[in-house]
Amino acid sequence: MNAPVKLRLENVAKRFGNAGAAQTTAVQDFTLDVPAGEFLVIVGPSGCGKTTVLNLLAGLELPTSGTVVLDGRVIRGPGPERGVMFQDYALFPWHTVRGNVEFGLRHGPAGAGLDAAARARRVHSTIDLVGLAGAEDKYPHQLSGGMRQRVALARLVANEPDVLLMDEPLAALDAQTRIILQEELLRIWGQDRPAAERRTVVFITHAIDEAVFLADRIAVMTTHPGRLKAVIDVPLSRPRNDATRAHHEFQALGQHIWSLIRDEAYRATVT
Amino acid sequence: MSAWAARAARSVVLPLTLLVVWEAWGVASGNRRTPTPSRVIGAAIDLVTSGDMIEAIATSLARVFAGFASAALIAIPLGLAMGAFRSIERNVDPLVESFRPIAAIAILPLAILWLGTGTPAAVLIVAYAAFFPIVIHTIAGAKLVNPTLLRAAATMGLGRWKTVRTVIVPSALPSIGVGLRIGMGVAWTAIIAAELAVGAKAGGGGSGGIGQMMFVFYAYSIELNRIVACMIAVGIVALALDRALRLALRYAMPWNAQ
Repeated sequence: MNAPVKLRLENVAKRFGNAGAAQTTAVQDFTLDVPAGEFLVIVGPSGCGKTTVLNLLAGLELPTSGTVVLDGRVIRGPGPERGVMFQDYALFPWHTVRGNVEFGLRHGPAGAGLDAAARARRVHSTIDLVGLAGAEDKYPHQLSGGMRQRVALARLVANEPDVLLMDEPLAALDAQTRIILQEELLRIWGQDRPAAERRTVVFITHAIDEAVFLADRIAVMTTHPGRLKAVIDVPLSRPRNDATRAHHEFQALGQHIWSLIRDEAYRATVT
Repeated sequence: MSAWAARAARSVVLPLTLLVVWEAWGVASGNRRTPTPSRVIGAAIDLVTSGDMIEAIATSLARVFAGFASAALIAIPLGLAMGAFRSIERNVDPLVESFRPIAAIAILPLAILWLGTGTPAAVLIVAYAAFFPIVIHTIAGAKLVNPTLLRAAATMGLGRWKTVRTVIVPSALPSIGVGLRIGMGVAWTAIIAAELAVGAKAGGGGSGGIGQMMFVFYAYSIELNRIVACMIAVGIVALALDRALRLALRYAMPWNAQ
């Protein structure tokens, strides 16, 4: 792939707390390039610093050392060109589905240049895209977990960010809803379109099958401190669907990744 | 139906028994001024039919609404500013906290000296009393904003001011609602106390508010049955105010499912 580098992490380390015994190192020696249009998935056992890496890319955290770069410029804070989908949905409880999806367009720079009618069209089509038509006037507390996740996805997509950063967005869902949303996510990302038209995605999960199903490349992390252990290409063809899951290579890749993190995952269950 | 009837019967047994005991005790005491349920009901009917009770409640309520509204107009913006900006809180909080333990009734002497014994002093007392619960709940509401929502706003490119307006203020609304309800309760308590303390200065009847009317029954005509009737009216109005406010808040915040 010759796509330009969209995101670059260079020798990034992130430590929390004051220097000394109480300090914990969340991420260390982390170097990775993400080309434009790539679907990168980060997997690793819990506590390996996946979320910290995502927050660094989002600009919600700044690295203790090293640099995080977007389009050649060092990231110094959050920005609307990098949309984030949070693990706990982060929906505004006082807004309806429509109000939540509209939020960034209405109050943020993503809506600059859009008049009310254009904004409403964008919101409408995004709600359709994630399959929430008919639920526009519901409040988050009236929705199931899967529907809330769709709202969060719609809010992210409506802002049309260059980079989509997703922190275990499907972790709280039941198995069936997950499978459905994984395919919808790929459709929304644009797996049917040529690679040049796709947005860049960094997606965090602890589910290996999810990582293999979604990713162009998988970054495997290990814990204490969080380091990059391996970066694995996923050569499965697109568009991916149910047949992909039955493919022997899908199984083999999953086993390979499991072998990389198994020992630590076991250790995590006894500590 | 029979289960419902049994439950209803059980829930009225104790109150009815107490009323009967009270009535019997009042009659047995032989004192015609001793309040009993039947005499209180008679007094209440007199007060309502003469128009005094209605006038008194209307007068007191008008003072409560004026004081409560002034308190909310100051306390909500101030509380939001204090909750959203640490620098403001650090400067204003000691002032608020040092006045808070001073009961509303304790500023009555000053209020009377400056404003006289009429409505302005009463409104000031009410505003003072209602201010603290509203401001404190507003501060707490603004501070209790879910940090992930702030992060979400930041990743959508919102600046500080826009985030205050679009995230912190709506987050604080349920807590502000609680503060308003508590503030309304203390406002009603404060107006009765203030009117009682001012004493019989107004034109008589209900024109001085329900507290002043009670003061007249206490200090001049010694009509205990009428005092008890007023006490009951005070309780009913307080309950009605709280229910109305709760209904209004639920209507204003359909998303607040509590």
